[in-house]
Formats: sequence, structure tokens, C-alpha cells
Amino acid sequence: MSRLSSGGPTSNVHTALAAGRLGVPAVMFFVLSAAAPLTVVAGVVTTGYAVTGVVAAMPLAFLVVGAVLAVFSVGYVAMARRVANAGALYSYVTHGLGRPAGVAAAWMALLAYNALQVGLYGAIGAAAAPLLHDWAGLTLPWWAIALVAWAVVAVLGLLRVDLNGRVLAVLLCAELAVIAVYSVANLAHPAGGTVSLATSSPTNLAVPGAGAVLVLAVLGYVGFEGAVVFSEESRNPARTVPAATYASVAVIGITYALASWAMTVAVGADRIVDASRELGPELLFTVAGIHLGTTAVHIGHALFLTSVAAAMIAFHNACARYTFALGREGVLPKVFGRTGRRTGAPAIASLTQSAIGLTVIVGYAVAGLDPLVQLFFYAGTGGGFGVLLLLTLAALAIVAHFIRRPSLDTTWQTRYAPIIATVALAVMVVLAVANFATLLGVDPTSPLRWAIPAAYPTAALLGLAWALVLRQTRPDVYAGIGLGADAATARTPAVADVPAAVAVKPPYPANPSYHGRAGDRQERQ
Amino acid sequence: MSTTRRGVAVEAPLADDLFRLGHDDTTGRPRLHQQVAGLGLAAALLGELCLAGHVTVHSGLVAVVDRRPPTNALAHTVLDQLVGESQVRQLRMWLPFLAREAYDQVAHRLLRAGHLRSVRTRWSRRVVFQPADSTIAAWPEARLRYTLHGHREWDHSDMVLAGLVAATGLAEQILWGFHGDMRRWFLSLTDWLPAPLAELVAHTEAAVGNAVLTHRT
Repeated sequence: MSRLSSGGPTSNVHTALAAGRLGVPAVMFFVLSAAAPLTVVAGVVTTGYAVTGVVAAMPLAFLVVGAVLAVFSVGYVAMARRVANAGALYSYVTHGLGRPAGVAAAWMALLAYNALQVGLYGAIGAAAAPLLHDWAGLTLPWWAIALVAWAVVAVLGLLRVDLNGRVLAVLLCAELAVIAVYSVANLAHPAGGTVSLATSSPTNLAVPGAGAVLVLAVLGYVGFEGAVVFSEESRNPARTVPAATYASVAVIGITYALASWAMTVAVGADRIVDASRELGPELLFTVAGIHLGTTAVHIGHALFLTSVAAAMIAFHNACARYTFALGREGVLPKVFGRTGRRTGAPAIASLTQSAIGLTVIVGYAVAGLDPLVQLFFYAGTGGGFGVLLLLTLAALAIVAHFIRRPSLDTTWQTRYAPIIATVALAVMVVLAVANFATLLGVDPTSPLRWAIPAAYPTAALLGLAWALVLRQTRPDVYAGIGLGADAATARTPAVADVPAAVAVKPPYPANPSYHGRAGDRQERQ
Repeated sequence: MSTTRRGVAVEAPLADDLFRLGHDDTTGRPRLHQQVAGLGLAAALLGELCLAGHVTVHSGLVAVVDRRPPTNALAHTVLDQLVGESQVRQLRMWLPFLAREAYDQVAHRLLRAGHLRSVRTRWSRRVVFQPADSTIAAWPEARLRYTLHGHREWDHSDMVLAGLVAATGLAEQILWGFHGDMRRWFLSLTDWLPAPLAELVAHTEAAVGNAVLTHRT
């Protein structure tokens, strides 16, 4: 960002503004707490084994997707230096592929992030219910717990309470430590006595249903794209954000691949699907408990809950931010861009997300649907698929952007890496669509098989149409698409020759029958 | 720049008016989040210099065009900062920089002029500011509403004030009870401002929005 790098290094303004800025570790903690490692390892991986029945490809899929996302990040962070906007993905699409595509991407992003957020209510309900029974003897339905979690998220979102960076950091490090200890214990006690490397063979990705596992892997990485949001808040945007992005992808990839592989080693690749179906997220803790004792299990359980909670808040805020940015642009009604006066929170946007969450929880509870598979897993994979689509569009947009605006970055950053990423992500999208029935664990004739992936093109088409309507009816709003809060500066009026001190009269007559407040009336005398 | 109903001339700089609008006129309770209030007051301080012809804004950059010292001490301070750091020209760096101290600076200007008094709260023993005269404290709000009713013409100072009120999210404070045309008119007042002032208001709105978007959660 030229805004931050210009000016002399000795400037008081620069020094003062740099004081509160974030370094690489701080940005990573924010990013990784949204990625929620323990939620993914305990929830997504086990449910993935149970629902898809595809085992062998999981660890490798994490590594492959990690590699693709690392290549994607090359162009992504190069673009972050050119386009200053906290709205990230959809604003990149706007800059690269035009405003209609940008609104289409924004609609898809709203759908995807909301799905990811509400899915977590299912996870916390399903995971906490048995724990509360164990710890306190309470028997609560999943939706009661989900509603408590919902209320906490809704209040925190409205008050804009600072999630303390240090607390997040400690929780995150503890999560990673627990995963590492569990994995080492799993590897030290392999089923059948020998550690099998069978799941690391590249041929595993050729099994039927492997496309499904790729979506699960993308779901695990969701959150890594958030580092660029902090570019203006980071100490050295040119270095901090790229470093944090690459490091996050590496940490996530290695952790997930190791943990998912270790689980298959300890349980046995042939038995893990049945074990996952029987135990769900408990599988991770049960297996670890055999070797490490109950204390390790209790610690793991507690951290699992904090991990889900942190992810819930992170995604709630991500949804609220997206909605708020679109409200500021005028793409959504202006009220979504309104802040709570005293709190400075994106109040209406936050309330809207909470309303969506409440509707979904109540709907699932009334319909008696399963919180883990039908809420957490369907919404999670649906959201993960949406983010995969967004990343593909963004990769394409990065290619297009750098073709039109040559920059001083290397050809690898602006051409090769974005093109490779676009192709790889597009292949993943095709594989995912082809294997969606496997991904959801439903019959290939099930309507869900098409309904969930079709939601995104539908949202995109609606967004596209809306952008075209705006172009015709509200050119000022259209001009600000993709600029986020900065859209206000795109509307700077064209009335250039206003005389310096001439008062402007309103377009309506003074109201002679005006009855204002007492103070106002006295003014007229 | 206006007179109260008692006929006392109140030389009310822009930032003082915004400060008054941002607080309850009797209790002094703040109506805005600290960060937003800071950005708004920083913009108001720049607006004072802009209205007095000391600085101008173009394409997101601030330029000092008249270095002669302003009579107001705080305006003088801000102008000195702008002159001293002339290598930094981006408005979007000056806004957050000035925002760090703007609140205290404006509060103390009002305190020095006798418009505020400092009071200790009963429980936390914190020092808070209360308006010395709630009539004067309520004056900017009354004036904007009165002007909006069409009883008085808009001058540039009040149009910038109206713009900053909308940018900081205080518009409802003025607009309660107004409908349709008058609302739209109030919210589009900045369209009639000279470009530098309009740009200042637009960048304030953007900075307030970005502060929400980059909040670290």
C-alpha cells in the first residue's frame, strides 16, 4: 500500500500510526483462530470419514489443497498490495472481472460465510450435549446449547467486544499442542502394530469420491484468506501479510495432514469409517484417551468447545463485515452500513446474521434434523464449496487484473502462479461437483446433490442481475462497487464551481406551520 | 458563527459544534464510540482550517495554502503539525493521526472557554466533562434542525457539520421527526459543498467505515 510506505521514515505521523500495528504472529493468530484447527480435526475430519466413506485420500488431500492454496496466495498477496480493501475476495473479483462479477461474488460470499457460521451451531450443540451430561449430569437437547451459543455470539457481535489477541493466541497454541500430542500418541500406538504409510500414496487421490475429500480439505483451510484484511493494520503490509498467509497455510496443512493420518493409523484404515460413524467427533478424543488418560481427554474437550466458539465468533464477524461493506457501498440497503452509535459495531449487519442463525437453529430443531450431519456437515461442506468457488473466481480475477495493470512484481507472481492456481482450483470445482453426492453421503439421485451446489450459481446470477439494475438506476452506487467503506469517496460530487460563500437554499419552502420543539420555536422570535 | 437565542454571539468552531452534538446536552454522556468521535473531530479540526482558507484537500491529499497563524490556539497547533510534517500529505493518514488526540484537544478547548466543566463521577471517580450551559450545548442541534426546516440558509460551516454528523452516524440525532424530502436533502448537503470540503466529509465517512471493517476480532 503506497498509502503506508510513502513519506519519510522519521515522520511522527508514521511512527504514531505504526505503534498499534500487527506483526506476523498477531495476524496469524487471528487467521488461525478462524480456521479453528481442533474444530476441523475433531469435527470435519471425523464426520468426513463417516459421511463420505473415503478414507485413504484425506491426509493427502490436505497437502494437495495446501499446495494449491500456497500457489494461489502468491498472486493473492501481490494483489493485496495493489487493492486496499478490507472486503477482500469480492473486491478482488470486482477489480479483476468487473463490477457485475463482483456483486455476483459478493452474493456467493454472503451465502458461503453464513452457511459456515450457522453450521457451527450444529457442531457446538452436538459436541457439548454429551459433555454437559458427563460433567454436570445435565441432559439438554442440542438446540438449547446452540441457542445459548447463539445468544453469546449475538451479544458479542453487537457490543463489538474485543476478543483479546492474547487469549486467542493461548487457546490456539493449546489447540495445536493437543493435536500434536494426540497425533504422536496415535502414531506410537498403531493398529496392527505397524505404522502404515498406505494413506500417503498419491494413487489414493484417484479413488472414486476423492473430489469430495478435496472440498473437505478446502473447508479446513477456510480462514486463511482473512490475512489480507489486516493489510492496513499490519506493520509492514508488503511483508507481514504474505508471511502470515504462507505461514498459516503451512501450519494448517501440516497439522491437518498429520492429525488425519495419525487417526487412521491408530484406528486402522479399514475400521475408521465405522468408528467415525459410531463416535462422531468423540473418535479423536476416545482414541487419544486410550493412550493418554482422561486428563488429556478433558483438556481436548474443553479446547474443542473454545475452538468452535472462536470460529463461530470469527465467522459471525466476517459475515457482518461483508454485509456492512456492501451496505456502505449501497449494494445492499444503506441501513446495513449503519454502526451502533455507542459501540461502533456494524449493528444492523450483525443483527441480520444473528437472525439468520436463529432461524436456522429453530428450523432444524422444529424439523428434528440431525445437528451434526445435516447442519454442521451439510452447511459446512456447502460453505466450503462456496469458498472454493470464490477462490477460483478470485484467482481468475488476479490473472485478469495483472494482464490489464502491469506491475513491478515478478512474472511468477502476476502470471504463472495465478494461472496455475486458477486451473488447479477449477479442476477441484469440477471434481467437487462430480462427487457432491459422495461428499454429502447421499444417494446420487438425492435432490440435495444438486440443490446445494446450485445455490451458488443462483446467488451469482441474482447478484449479476442486481449489478445490472444498479448500473441503470443508480450509477453513483454502481461506481462504488468493490470499494467497501471507501465507496463514499467515489461519490464525491461533481459540483465543482460552487461559489465560495453563497448559502444553499433547500428545494422545499420554509414550513410556516412548523411546530418544532420548544427550543426551536423560541429561535424564531 | 451564530448567535444563541440570548443574542450572545458564540464563535463556535466546527469541532466544538460536533463535540456538542456528540454528547448529551445536559449530562455530557457521549453519544459516539471513542474511535468514531475521534475521527469525526479530527475531520472537524481540518474542516476549520479548510473553511478559514489555511488548507485545502484535493485527490485525497492535504495541502497547506496559508501558513499565517490562525487566531484559535488549537487550529494553530493543528496547522503547525501539518506544516511540520509536510512530507505526509494523505488525508487518510492525517485523519487517524489527528484522531488520536482530537477528542481531548477539543474537550480542553471547550473547557478553557468555560463551555465544559470537569466533574468526578460518583462511583468510578473518573473525570468526565459536562456542559456548563445546556442551552449552548444544545445549540448546534437546534440550529441544524431549524436550518433544515428552511428558516435559515445553509452556510458552508453548517453543511460540513451536517456532513460530519451523517458520516459519524449521528444523523438520527438531527433527523428525528423529519421525513422524505428533508431527510434526503440533509443527507445530500455535501453535494453542494466546494470539492475540498466535500472530499473531507467523504473521506471521514470512509475512514469511519474502514475502522469498523478492520476491527480486530
